[in-house]
Amino acid sequence: MYYMLYAICFPVLTGLFLLVFRGLKNRKSLLLFTAAALAGASALVVLALCLGQGGMLTLFNLTERLPVMFKVDGVSVVFSVMTVIVFLCAGFFSFSYMEHEQNEKRYYGYYLIVFGVLIALCFAGNLITFYMFFEALTLASLPLVLHKGGREAVMAGLKYLFYSLSGAYSALFGLYFIERYGNTLTFSPGGVISAEMAAKYNGLLLGIAFAMLIGFGVKAGMFPMHAWLPTAHPVAPAPASAVLSAVIVKAGVLAVVRVVYYIFGVSFLGGSWVQYAWMSLTLATVFMGSMLAYREPVLKKRLAYSTVSQLSYILFGLSVMDKEAVTGSLLHVLCHSFIKAALFLCAGGIIFRTGKTRVEELRGIGKEMPATIWCYTIASLGLIGIPPMGGFVSKWYLAVGALGAGISWFSWIGPVVLLVSALLTAGYLLPVVVLGFFPGEDACPGGWEKKEPSLLMRIPIFVLTLLSVVAGLFPGPVVDYLSRIIEKII
Amino acid sequence: METVQNFPAISILLCLFAGIISSGLKRKAARWVNILLVVAVAFLSIYTLGYVLATGASYVYVMGKFPAPWGNEIRVGALEAFTAFFFCVIMLLSLEGGRKKLADELEEGKTYLYYVLSDLLLSSLLALVYTNDLFTAYVFVEINTIAACGLIMIRQNGRTIKASARYMIMSLLGSGLLLLGICMLYDLTGHLLMGNIREQVGILSVTGEYHIPLLVTIALMSVGLAIKSALFPFHGWLTDAYGYSTVSSAAILSSLVSKGYIFLLIKIIYRVIGTEVFNESKIINILFVFGLMGMIFGSLSAIRENDVRRMISFSSVAQIGYIYMGIGMGTKAGMEASVFHILSHAATKSLLFIAAIGLTDVSGGSRKFIDLTGAAFRNKWAGVAFTVGSLSMVGVPMFSGFVSKLLFAQAAVQNEIKMLPALIVLGISTILNAIYFMKTVIRIYTPVEDLKYESITFKNMRMYAVTLVLFIILNVFLGVSSQPVVDLIGQGLAMFS
Amino acid sequence: MILLVILIPVLAGAAVFLVPFKRRSYMEIFLEAAVIINSILVWYLLMHRSESIFTLANFTGNLSISFKVDGLGMIFAGLVSALWPFATLYAFEYMAREEHERMFFMFYTMTYGVALGISLAANLLTMYFFYELLTLVTVPLVMHTLTREAILASRKYLYYSLGGAAFAFIGLIFVIIYGAATEFVLGGTLDLSKVGERGNVLLLVYVIAFMGFGVKAAVCPFNSWLPQAGVAPTPVTALLHAVAVVKSGAFAIIRLTYYSFGTEFLRGTWAQYVVMVIVMFTIVYGCSRAVKETHLKRRLAYSTVSNLSYILFGVAIMTPGGMVGALCHLVFHAVMKISAFFCAGAIMHQADRHYVHELDGLGWRMPAVFGVFTVSALALMGFPGLAGFVSKWYLASAAVESGNSLAYGGIACLLASALLTAIYMLTVVVRGFFPAGEAGSKELGQVRDPNWKMLLPLFVFTGFIVLFGLYSGPVVKFFADVAAGIY
Repeated sequence: MYYMLYAICFPVLTGLFLLVFRGLKNRKSLLLFTAAALAGASALVVLALCLGQGGMLTLFNLTERLPVMFKVDGVSVVFSVMTVIVFLCAGFFSFSYMEHEQNEKRYYGYYLIVFGVLIALCFAGNLITFYMFFEALTLASLPLVLHKGGREAVMAGLKYLFYSLSGAYSALFGLYFIERYGNTLTFSPGGVISAEMAAKYNGLLLGIAFAMLIGFGVKAGMFPMHAWLPTAHPVAPAPASAVLSAVIVKAGVLAVVRVVYYIFGVSFLGGSWVQYAWMSLTLATVFMGSMLAYREPVLKKRLAYSTVSQLSYILFGLSVMDKEAVTGSLLHVLCHSFIKAALFLCAGGIIFRTGKTRVEELRGIGKEMPATIWCYTIASLGLIGIPPMGGFVSKWYLAVGALGAGISWFSWIGPVVLLVSALLTAGYLLPVVVLGFFPGEDACPGGWEKKEPSLLMRIPIFVLTLLSVVAGLFPGPVVDYLSRIIEKII
Repeated sequence: METVQNFPAISILLCLFAGIISSGLKRKAARWVNILLVVAVAFLSIYTLGYVLATGASYVYVMGKFPAPWGNEIRVGALEAFTAFFFCVIMLLSLEGGRKKLADELEEGKTYLYYVLSDLLLSSLLALVYTNDLFTAYVFVEINTIAACGLIMIRQNGRTIKASARYMIMSLLGSGLLLLGICMLYDLTGHLLMGNIREQVGILSVTGEYHIPLLVTIALMSVGLAIKSALFPFHGWLTDAYGYSTVSSAAILSSLVSKGYIFLLIKIIYRVIGTEVFNESKIINILFVFGLMGMIFGSLSAIRENDVRRMISFSSVAQIGYIYMGIGMGTKAGMEASVFHILSHAATKSLLFIAAIGLTDVSGGSRKFIDLTGAAFRNKWAGVAFTVGSLSMVGVPMFSGFVSKLLFAQAAVQNEIKMLPALIVLGISTILNAIYFMKTVIRIYTPVEDLKYESITFKNMRMYAVTLVLFIILNVFLGVSSQPVVDLIGQGLAMFS
Repeated sequence: MILLVILIPVLAGAAVFLVPFKRRSYMEIFLEAAVIINSILVWYLLMHRSESIFTLANFTGNLSISFKVDGLGMIFAGLVSALWPFATLYAFEYMAREEHERMFFMFYTMTYGVALGISLAANLLTMYFFYELLTLVTVPLVMHTLTREAILASRKYLYYSLGGAAFAFIGLIFVIIYGAATEFVLGGTLDLSKVGERGNVLLLVYVIAFMGFGVKAAVCPFNSWLPQAGVAPTPVTALLHAVAVVKSGAFAIIRLTYYSFGTEFLRGTWAQYVVMVIVMFTIVYGCSRAVKETHLKRRLAYSTVSNLSYILFGVAIMTPGGMVGALCHLVFHAVMKISAFFCAGAIMHQADRHYVHELDGLGWRMPAVFGVFTVSALALMGFPGLAGFVSKWYLASAAVESGNSLAYGGIACLLASALLTAIYMLTVVVRGFFPAGEAGSKELGQVRDPNWKMLLPLFVFTGFIVLFGLYSGPVVKFFADVAAGIY
């Protein structure tokens, strides 16, 4: 049972150690330490997943009725596996990337803490524990955004902070009521609201549910509280952006999954105004995110907008509350995190080697760093949803689920929006590829100099790209696993 | 008749007699006569009080052998005796506290006159307190006016002369109205003795005859006495009179003279007109409203004032407003509160005047706030005393002002209609009091860097300091163990009717 | 015994002024000893309390100055006596550079006694007496620096407080007249048979008295004295204007609501809604002013304005649960805010920085102070696992439980205020650790963490913030017992 606790505490403690301890001046030993910590933490997580399945660990009571509790279930497995993979890849990428940044030690310290907190979020067994680490995540990831210092970063960091906190408080508002009107705060498949309560306080509880969705949706960049995301993600160092965009925002998704399927339950929310309002918001976000990404000239910002859009794919699938659609969502959680991490790391590699940030500057980049841009291309195709990449499978499930879910005209408007957005995705991701590989005859008369980033940076990118492809080619086991989870909750 | 029953009459006569003797005496002798007199009267009064309390009933003392309805009568009850005693104490302390200043402010050779006037004043006050017929009351009102005028004017400068002229005019207007009222009452009832009039008024009110004239009479007498005691719209004379006269005069005038008139008014309400008749007339509401306005406007003027003595004078206007508010409630509790406030205000206001003089003396004689900065460090005793007085005025518990406030508020709660205005004005007026008194206290406790003025030590003001301490003790006594006093007042008022 | 704990600080304070100590350290030892002994006595008294009422003097009629140790009094007295020794220790270090030290310590120590007087008062009159006294002994502390600003601030403080007391006085009168008993009784002392038709008048009086006592608790619109009074030395602002004085206002309102008028009488009436709306407004208003304020101490003062209204919100819910929430926040906020203020004071003392924008990069220079400040900031905004979350939790769940829809709005206010709290507190932290410009770090020179006298209280308070946050069970249990009338 205590493996869960170890898996959470180990990265947090090593991170704190890095922050507080004055030693480790030597860069090499610092990297070794961090690498060991990351590897160790990952191993512990895997161990916890294997051994802790189904168990429950109550640590202590925050107040009389608020136990801090951890539990491993299917959803935890999906999210923690994703977290571990992306964190390992981005971590190793940063060993090389962070060379040209200052205060490396601080960065690794917070990186490890964020890792621990995310694992804790995955393992959280009840809403209060979840909320606790949700807030902690905001605070711990804040230094990653702030890392570069300077006015821009501070402003972006504060924006991130205040948006996240307002979301968290909106969720807390609901938490107060659930504590009173629900049976328990423990996540239970199918929800904790008894039918009696649901009937008696229907209006109130629906309002609460909506407040919580909006609140947790902030983290997942859902319209109308999405504005922080494109500001905050790009100012962080590239590996941090990758983590933020690929994993940390998924904490919002995880929160929504927990709230909808484990607290309120499909039977309560399905068919209510909350579902429709939520669905409309997600669709609006999908479309708007893509549009904004399409218009954005700076590559990292463009990727951030893309995150806004893609996350709402996931949220849309969740809001449909249909088995197929939810499968698609969870699959997209995985695919998107691999792809988006790969893309951000590519962008990081470009910045690291050339210092170029804007898309139109990237003319001929494919000639300079072909391996990186090939990875970029493959990942992009996945995000657009071209078969046989991972993104295709998840979107397929999403669309099928939406069409069959019986949600009046959303059944067809949803897939249409997803399709349009896919086109836009192609529109904003592929120009880099086109410009990079086909710079035109007169772009560089002197021939292209090879600027491929170091191996330490390339390998994570390869791994992530590969994973996204594998997810598309062999989705079977994963889909099986997911549908077994979903079986319980719908 | 027992000997003790003669004491009130004796004390009045004693005062007159002492006044006459003093006019032929030197300064020092006159002073001693005065002190002896006040002490003696105090003892006589307390003895009388003991007697009245022992018998449990008031008695009427007929001056000379003329029977009613012509003779002069004195009526002695618990409240009268106690008030007389209390007035003596205040008078003694006020004179003692201002003694040193007196020597500076008065012309050589005129000091004895001061004592003559105070003797006369005391006699008139005693008479106002004890009298049982309206004619005597009127006579002593006039004596009182003259003596008071003298006390103001005895410090010779332009301002006091102007002040006393104003005082004289307003006072005479007041006594004129009072006289008119008395005349009409005599016309209506054919009596001058209070008891007799009361009977007749009772009959008149039952039959409904002469309703309007009776109302006018009540109005005339109330307004007359209100003018003399500086109720709000008629207070114009007060600030100059209190502000520029010698400090003892100011203390005595503010704490005793105006209170004498109010006491007379209360007596008239109870003994002449009868509370029921008075309560039914609309006059009571007018007094109430004027009282409330006085509480506010007096304080507002005080806030604007830049001269500490005048500020304290304006504060008197506000405090007299309190008293009239209590009277205006028309309940027994309200009246009790008013009477208690007469006592408490007398004790506090004279303390403030005396303390203020100590502060101005160590500030080069200036009474402007700016010069008073840090005065409390130069004269520590006066500083403490002023603070105590201020706190009492603001109504901090343990001081007398708090008890009056408590009584007023409790009285207000019993009156459904007047409750809210009374309570709210009470609250506002407390805030206003706090503003100007606390402003002063902070000012006098703000140290200054360059010491322009010398400080004074205990040695140089032994008598003064002792007086202040006595005043403080008196104040705290009224504040802490007010219950016996309140009981006594209740008893005394019960004896009135 | 009760009298003793009130008198010791008063006498010790007087002694500081009168006895000429040869050296500063003697005075420090004397004072600290007196304060600690008194605190021990207080705790002894609380542990071995007797139910009986100790009457000092009879006032008029049925009014008396009397003392009693009851549950609510225990909480406040315990809080005050726990904080005072630390605050005194801190004050020694802080005041070393200021003038008129002895005058300061005289009043500072006297305030201790008066605050205990408030908490141990057995009836409204006694409390009112000490309440007024509290104003008077603390005015010199505000005035301490004797600058023009300080004098204006102290005058304002005085006027507001005395004025508030004047209106609270009206409530006092009504409770005396309509009360069945003069002592505080949980559930109220009103004799409803006497009230009869005049219920509405009494409600009006309740609102008036609430606002009157609310002046000290800085209820809007009577809050402006509190930020201004921040000119006082930091130990004063921290201990008095975050705990002793302002909390005595909140304490008085609890007494007024739960022990005098009684929630039975008030709940569901328009009076409840009126005070609740006022309080809710203050919660948000105080925070927004704090966000706008750039002077660090004043910002914290505005934060106090808002947090005091959290307490009052709990009171205004008028259920036992609300009282538990109010008591929780009364105690927890004391610890959090005093810690934050002490940090601000340490920054002023060590680095002479007063405004938020001057703090760039200071965090790495004074890591201990800024670390503590971060913890208190997180606690104030209600980070789970720290004290603030617990009290907010109880407040909110009491509001939910009351089923009062206005109280639901109150929860929204609490959360909005939490967000604003995050804004005004965390911007400070972020500035400290992540300067927006490079310029800040150069001029810092020799700035470093203060010595142990300042740090010890800080660490102790931080420890308590975390302790209460993680393990609040017994404390809250006690509060619940008090609210249920067991103590």
